[in-house]
Amino acid sequence: MAELDPSKKVADRYLKREVLGEGTYGVVYKAIDTQTGQTVAIKKIRLGKQKEGVNFTALREIKLLKELKDPNIIELIDAFPHKGNLHLVFEFMETDLEAVIRDRNIFLSPGDIKSYLQMTLKGLAVCHKKWVLHRDMKPNNLLIGSNGQLKLADFGLARIFGSPDRRFTHQVFARWYRAPELLFGTKQYGAGVDVWAAACIFAELLLRRPFLQGSSDIDQLGKIFAAFGTPSPAQWPDMVYLPDYVEYQHVPAPPLRSLFPMASDDALDLLSKMFTYDPNARISVQQALEHRYVSREALPTVPEKLPRPAPKKESKASDVDSQDGPTVLSPPRKSRRIMPGRDGFEANSLQEDKFDDNAGNFRQTVADNTGKNGPAPMSLDFSLFGLKPPNRPTITSADRSHLKRKLDLEFSNQND
Amino acid sequence: MSANFWTSSHYKHLLDQEDVDMVNPLDKERGVTLEDFKLIKMHMTNYILRLAQQVKVRQRVVATAVTYMRRVYTRKSMAEYDPRLVAPTCLYLASKAEESTVQARLLVFYIKKLYADDKYRYEIKDILEMEMKILEALDYYLVVFHPYRSLSQFLQDASLNDLSMTQLTWGVINDTYKMDLILVHPPHLIALACIYIASVFREKDTTAWFEELRVDMNVVKNISMEILDFYESNRMFTEDRINTALQKLTLRP
Repeated sequence: MAELDPSKKVADRYLKREVLGEGTYGVVYKAIDTQTGQTVAIKKIRLGKQKEGVNFTALREIKLLKELKDPNIIELIDAFPHKGNLHLVFEFMETDLEAVIRDRNIFLSPGDIKSYLQMTLKGLAVCHKKWVLHRDMKPNNLLIGSNGQLKLADFGLARIFGSPDRRFTHQVFARWYRAPELLFGTKQYGAGVDVWAAACIFAELLLRRPFLQGSSDIDQLGKIFAAFGTPSPAQWPDMVYLPDYVEYQHVPAPPLRSLFPMASDDALDLLSKMFTYDPNARISVQQALEHRYVSREALPTVPEKLPRPAPKKESKASDVDSQDGPTVLSPPRKSRRIMPGRDGFEANSLQEDKFDDNAGNFRQTVADNTGKNGPAPMSLDFSLFGLKPPNRPTITSADRSHLKRKLDLEFSNQND
Repeated sequence: MSANFWTSSHYKHLLDQEDVDMVNPLDKERGVTLEDFKLIKMHMTNYILRLAQQVKVRQRVVATAVTYMRRVYTRKSMAEYDPRLVAPTCLYLASKAEESTVQARLLVFYIKKLYADDKYRYEIKDILEMEMKILEALDYYLVVFHPYRSLSQFLQDASLNDLSMTQLTWGVINDTYKMDLILVHPPHLIALACIYIASVFREKDTTAWFEELRVDMNVVKNISMEILDFYESNRMFTEDRINTALQKLTLRP
């Protein structure tokens, strides 16, 4: 019965489109759900060796996603067998946080960073409330929808925790996001491992590059200790009892401020609480959400207004009025939104990103700016932009006349 | 009894007894009575248990497998979903869902060892095909809560956590899977009913302890009565009656 019916289902309900990529356990393709008109992503789960039925990882994902329904967690819309393979239907997500972080055309305001962090933590909080550990938190598993909503995805490594003596593998997470207790081989761990990974993502949003890029597990610990100092037994009493514990040469902690020069005091405070060595003392996701960095000061950007990478080639028509529109026309360096120092005025003394010395870029930068009027660029990483920090804080007369020309242009533009 | 039970799909899917006791029309046509229906499910529970003992999996896997099997038959007919294939497949699926995978070929090996009867003979490919159908029948909901988790907490809290009480209640809980209780009642209430029975049986006074709990004692007592009724009628479930019931499934209506 089930063998005859579902073949209709793909044709009847889902119109297959292009292949999006190769997932952990099969091909993912785009499709249109004809019942709802919604664009979806369908994961076709390979029946690997044919001898062990539905893929174990896929089953884990199904099991947990059926229990986790939340705006910040990817939705499993449907599942069905087709030609002997199981297919999972997910809501279609435009991009992911890794693409946002890597895209040099995107400037992230403190409000944007806060918004991305908040959505990440909200999704995690739902998991932890239901005793689910994600165990694979990293920017490319945080998907972003067309409305800017960030959603946790890829629950293939996730597990239910809560039985106090249950032993887990420590081989989880991409190395750069692995908590120190995992690197020391602990088999009994909790929600803290996800918090550490979320802290790495937070740091990555601030720095615009992965924060702790270890080349091996040993090196990863070295990188962690170089950033936060070698933990003392007083800081983390259980450390010495961990299975793979080895003594590291003592390094003092540099001031956190020196690693994140542009972050606010509140951001640094939250970061240091999420990066606490002792997992028992590490802040919980719920506490992090209530931390004053998240709850006070600059509000997080509403998801719809968050910057996202330009859509891929396929939808040319919409490129015209898209915010990142004419990017392709100018050399990549010119199309960057923030060019502090070039014109010699301080980045945040004016609505700097409206102005550029290249008139050809004008339309684009203005268009960009309509998207958001974010506060000062706190997280700018100049090394990433290949530019020096501004060294002339005041506006010179040459700049002034230059600015005037620009402003004239803007007015004439508005009159059109 | 963790707080998350109340937000789980398990809680949302709890059924009324009447819905659980609905014999599928296709089976009814073949003359299957409610009594037969219960008998076959009980027999299949035993089947899963015997198979599980061979492949050595945790009790939790058995409990989940039985729950899957019972859920399947609230939606599907036994005529179309042969219990003799559904039972081992549920164990196979539950072993994966509970993170202690048992290989399908191992199950097939022990099925042959346990039952000489050809009617029980199924191959790996049958199990894998049925796995997909069961997933569909379960609507892909796989997380199940069991009374075992709350049991030890309760026993400790009531200072009843000596070996003999623990073993007795644990055994009573195992027996509840021969009935449909897990589809109808929250697991912690089933655990309490089992403790109630065991404490009465061992003549331990737990009245004060139960009174302090904020639970509806009427529900606990009703569940306990159901369990006792089951023990009462259990003696009449003979091999013959089971075979007669299974025989009906193959009859043309």
